[in-house]
Amino acid sequence: MRRASGSEVLGRVVETLKRLGAESVTVTQEGVVLSTVTKDRLRDFVRALIREYGESLRHSTCMGTDLRPVRGSFSVTHVLALDGLRLYLLVETEAFGNRPKVPSLTPLLPAANWAEREARDLLGIEFEGHPEPVKLILPDPWPEGVFPLRKDYPYNKKLYETPAQVRGVRGEPRFFSAKPSPPSESVREGCALIPVGPYHPALHEPEYYELYVEGERIVEARYRGFFVHRGMEKLAESRMTINQVPFLAERICGICGYTHACAYCQAVEAAARIEVPERALYIRSILLEIERLHSHILWFGVAFHMLGFDTGFMAMWRIREEVMRVAEALTGNRKTYGMNLVGGVRRDIDEGKASLVLRMLESVEGEFRRFCDSVLSMREVVERVKEVGVLTREDARRLGAVGPHARASGLGIDVRVDHPYAAYRFVDVNVAVRDSCDVLARILVRYDEVIESVRLIRELLKNMPKGELMAEYGDLPPLRVGLGATEAPRGEDIHLVITGRGNKLYRWRPRAPSYVNLATVPTMLEGERLANAPIIIASIDPCFSCTDHVVVVDLRTGVRRRMNLLRNALTRG
Amino acid sequence: MVEGLGKRVVTEAYPWAPLEVPEGFRGKPVIDPEKCVGCGSCVNACPPNALTLSDDGRHRVVKLFLGRCIFCGRCEEVCPFNAIELTKEFELATSSTEDLVQEVRLVMAKCTVCGRPYATLREVRKVAESLPENLRGLAYVCPDCRGRISSYFVGFARR
Repeated sequence: MRRASGSEVLGRVVETLKRLGAESVTVTQEGVVLSTVTKDRLRDFVRALIREYGESLRHSTCMGTDLRPVRGSFSVTHVLALDGLRLYLLVETEAFGNRPKVPSLTPLLPAANWAEREARDLLGIEFEGHPEPVKLILPDPWPEGVFPLRKDYPYNKKLYETPAQVRGVRGEPRFFSAKPSPPSESVREGCALIPVGPYHPALHEPEYYELYVEGERIVEARYRGFFVHRGMEKLAESRMTINQVPFLAERICGICGYTHACAYCQAVEAAARIEVPERALYIRSILLEIERLHSHILWFGVAFHMLGFDTGFMAMWRIREEVMRVAEALTGNRKTYGMNLVGGVRRDIDEGKASLVLRMLESVEGEFRRFCDSVLSMREVVERVKEVGVLTREDARRLGAVGPHARASGLGIDVRVDHPYAAYRFVDVNVAVRDSCDVLARILVRYDEVIESVRLIRELLKNMPKGELMAEYGDLPPLRVGLGATEAPRGEDIHLVITGRGNKLYRWRPRAPSYVNLATVPTMLEGERLANAPIIIASIDPCFSCTDHVVVVDLRTGVRRRMNLLRNALTRG
Repeated sequence: MVEGLGKRVVTEAYPWAPLEVPEGFRGKPVIDPEKCVGCGSCVNACPPNALTLSDDGRHRVVKLFLGRCIFCGRCEEVCPFNAIELTKEFELATSSTEDLVQEVRLVMAKCTVCGRPYATLREVRKVAESLPENLRGLAYVCPDCRGRISSYFVGFARR
């Protein structure tokens, strides 16, 4: 399925990168180009890239790494996606010293905001020129100068040893206080504050929205999240071996865990140049689509619940149950499939299991179509979501939205097509795109995707070749970079790894799709009616556990004035 | 929607009726104490450290703590003697932690040269069985001493 001109495109891009001033340019794996740039030239380099590729350049995430034990420096690796050219550009820059400084890319690419602040919190890398240099991940009372992801910080070190220390001096809880930081000066007088959270009333996950309303209008919205950081990266880097991590990766999310296990395995396989047998690739794709199916149907249930339409909620979850049963029969568990190891999959899908899947598809497709068609023909439902929670195409692009959320704002990006992985290299995926940019568009995109998943599973089952399930491989080569990307039900899921010695990882950086999508929520909420807030928040299908797998915090994204600041900086730059 | 009204009840009667789980379901792992040789393969593979090894000189204890288990089935996959298997059992709620622990105690073999306990007797016997008769004695010698003995013989041959 690769375009004939793939290598030409690659050659041209490599040349361009060299011309624009990269110190070195290497193709690390199919579709990934790593360039190193000195930190003084980083901004100019990226500015030139933006000029060269314009709108098609998307900031995906960035990874900070403490390389002091190896090279004596810290490194920051930005992941820039060129979706149209089917490439990921890794831009690496180095910084020295105990409080290393690198120029921030946020003024040029606003989507870099959170990722840079995460590296600042966890590794103590300062991003010069960052418009919002405040904590993102760590809790407010976290001591200055303690950076948990640095290599000299032991994974099992307790910051406070006694309960008294944890409670703090005045007996107030030191950690995990749901109290938001003092309101910002930008809040106008006469506004009422409506708190939503710290547990989402319907998604049952910890997040906190502060909605400032004038009458019924939301004039300002703030998001605070990262209450459930679990320190997974640290755990994987210090204590686990490469084939233990897939099971940890799978537990990043309670709904789309398998996609994380896949992205992780792909990253390691790319770093170690392991060729995965074709049958294993097909099985991965089939399971990924089964996961998308149950995830989307679950979302429909939640969305109907948000609209006060509980019959729909129950009906959707009844339909979804069949998918769960089939997943259990295929993998041994409803949700945590546990199917992946580096190099392949652990269980086969034989004839009997395949026929189970086909039977399930038959009934799920029919029931889903019949039910949703009748719901979407109801004026009450359609009017309720039409022109609600608008995220313009420009905002979606600027804030780096991904997945169905981006596709509902007219951006036709889909990792399955743009950066084909697993068996998506062998089948064509129809990408569902809508351009009304509202909640209705998000519903319709997901509707199309459910139908497309059903079609894809059928095609994959039909074309699945015979063969091995697992590749053979030796020890992991140390200090190689690998990137794995999958299209999770919620959008682009990226895992970056740097391999270490003794079959361990030196660095692992997963970035879930909700991480970037959540940053778009305040923008959608402002100017809306309060009653629309629940469905708007739910419309991105947010997954807080995914986002928070990384550590705790305070966020003030989306304040309109700040956005303007960013926009000004962008046009000036 | 009206269509749904005529449907059968989809809610399970469980826990008032037993719940069927499919073949290959990943439930509670159980160690067969007759088959386990205490080699530690499962301990190395176990992602959450639910399986641990401890030696007290006379015995080696393989301990499975279900409180940490994630039911991934890696132990079953790597066990060279099929001594650990995942069952269909999933009702593990209990008021006593002891119910979540399975221990297998195995007698250690002592090195016939230096007297140091170095592996379980059962594992050593398995190794011995796999060796040709004239080398069987080497299985009962710890790896350190084995190294010394063989280098002695190699040196002897060179001389």
